[in-house]
Amino acid sequence: MKTYLSLITIDLKLASRLRTVIVFTYIFPLMFFFIFATVFGVRQNPKVMTYVLTMSITLGVLANGLFGAGIRALQERELNILRRYKVTPITPVPLLVASMVTGWVIFMPYIVLVICLAHFIYHMPWPVQLPSLLVFISIGLIAFRSIGLVIASVANTMQEGTILVQLCYFPMLFLSGATLPAIMFPHFLRVISNFIPATYLVSGMQGIMLRSEDLVTDWRWVVALIVTTLVGVTVGTKLFRWEKEEKIRGSAKLWVVVALLPFLLLGLWQSYAGHIVIRTDIFGR
Amino acid sequence: MNSDAVIAVQDLRKSYGQVEAVKGIDFEVRAGEVFGILGPNGAGKTSTVEILEGLRPRTGGDARVLGYDPERQKQQLKDRIGVCLQATNLPAKIRAQEALDLFGSFYSRSISSEKLLHRLQLWEKRSAFYETLSGGQKQRLALALALVNDPQLLFLDEPTTGLDPQIRLEIHNLVEELKSEKRTVVLTTHYIEEAERLCDRVAIMDEGKIVTMGTPRELQQKSREQSRIQIVTTQPLNAVQLPQWPDAVQTSLDGDGRQLTVYSTRPARTLFEMMRWLDQQGIQLEDVHLKRPTLEDVFVEITGKKLRE
Repeated sequence: MKTYLSLITIDLKLASRLRTVIVFTYIFPLMFFFIFATVFGVRQNPKVMTYVLTMSITLGVLANGLFGAGIRALQERELNILRRYKVTPITPVPLLVASMVTGWVIFMPYIVLVICLAHFIYHMPWPVQLPSLLVFISIGLIAFRSIGLVIASVANTMQEGTILVQLCYFPMLFLSGATLPAIMFPHFLRVISNFIPATYLVSGMQGIMLRSEDLVTDWRWVVALIVTTLVGVTVGTKLFRWEKEEKIRGSAKLWVVVALLPFLLLGLWQSYAGHIVIRTDIFGR
Repeated sequence: MNSDAVIAVQDLRKSYGQVEAVKGIDFEVRAGEVFGILGPNGAGKTSTVEILEGLRPRTGGDARVLGYDPERQKQQLKDRIGVCLQATNLPAKIRAQEALDLFGSFYSRSISSEKLLHRLQLWEKRSAFYETLSGGQKQRLALALALVNDPQLLFLDEPTTGLDPQIRLEIHNLVEELKSEKRTVVLTTHYIEEAERLCDRVAIMDEGKIVTMGTPRELQQKSREQSRIQIVTTQPLNAVQLPQWPDAVQTSLDGDGRQLTVYSTRPARTLFEMMRWLDQQGIQLEDVHLKRPTLEDVFVEITGKKLRE
């Protein structure tokens, strides 16, 4: 326990000293929050605030998970920082757990802040299922951090890692309904969005905020996020490498697909049942 | 295995694919000694040491460190040893004292960070970020981290490489302190003078094998290379008939005849006789140099290569 607490404490201190963390975790998502709130005319239609809020939170979750956890883990390996840990009696588990907890602690104040801003500035009603919303976002954040850690585990170099992160980041950003309104999507893109993990995060948050759904209503998405976390942590631990010289074979990159498997299965199920997960009703004024 | 052996290695092998980095080596390290592993880059030093530290699996043979198998009992072993690696880093924004507190929390026992900061002369830098420390301060911090669990066995992998002479001297003093505290130290280096000064025993490695092992003095004595006596006189010796001094194997004069070089198997005796002869001849002495064979000479003699090739 001493090891876990020390690692979490130091990770939090280090994060608070990095300007990039402040900029990418708070300032950038907040900028988008205000810009999109203005662009989408939230003051005329407070329902659209749900969309803006979801977009802003999803941007933060993706950045925190894929870049914050994934790229940082890669950097630590490339800079020979993990090599120093390797000579101590610790295993990768405390390092991965500390990364998850730190990401959550850093991100949750932002969630509380944007919900308050949405309420006080743009008159969005308080979400009826606020505890469910916070728990759902927390589960989502941890799941996306675990995807980031799997990417860090399978990438041999920073260049490879950056490519893999971008390959996950942009489809999740644009095809999940987080940034581009799903109402603009042709049918085939809506089907594709069924296979995108971020779609379930976006849709789950919108369901909780718009229709007062709770974790039980969205249980399949909650389970998929939790399974992704478990698979991610297991794969991340199994493939964890302390040194940049320890290379992994190319086929190991398929573990990223394994980490995303719960969403691929969910996407297949939804498509087979003829469901479209992404919501198109928000702009249907 | 010797009863006071802290490390015992038998027929140790390590391969990376088709490349055999360590080709069946045997040695023991006794409690309280500084054991040096000397060799050029690619000799297999780091592979050997990293196997003993529990960082890499071996391909064959047997190894015991503090009674543990470094491959199967690596966590227990890592809890008991201190390691200063050749190329490591810490996060740029971690403070020196925070790093010591953090790493101390990983072990079942640890020394207070305050004590280590004082000992390694880093107290003034305790609140400095890692990125602001000089190369020497970073290396001292690396050594402090290696001591954080108060280990009885330390592995120092090229601890002075790339450091300026003053810092190197400080680190040499620290190793001597560790030795006086009866800690066992395994030191890899390619600095000859470092091995000669600090090590009780040295194993010289080349191409994955130990080519010779013993105390620095034993190795120097094993050398066929003789000590070189060089004297400079005030007047040329060209016109003088030089005698055959005892144990001298080769004698030569340089161009102007004032510098005489004599190779000897027993330099003290030869030098004494030379001084006596010069005195008898009334020749005045300007300078004297005596150079014993170094570990480098031993290495060159055995392998035909230079240590830093």
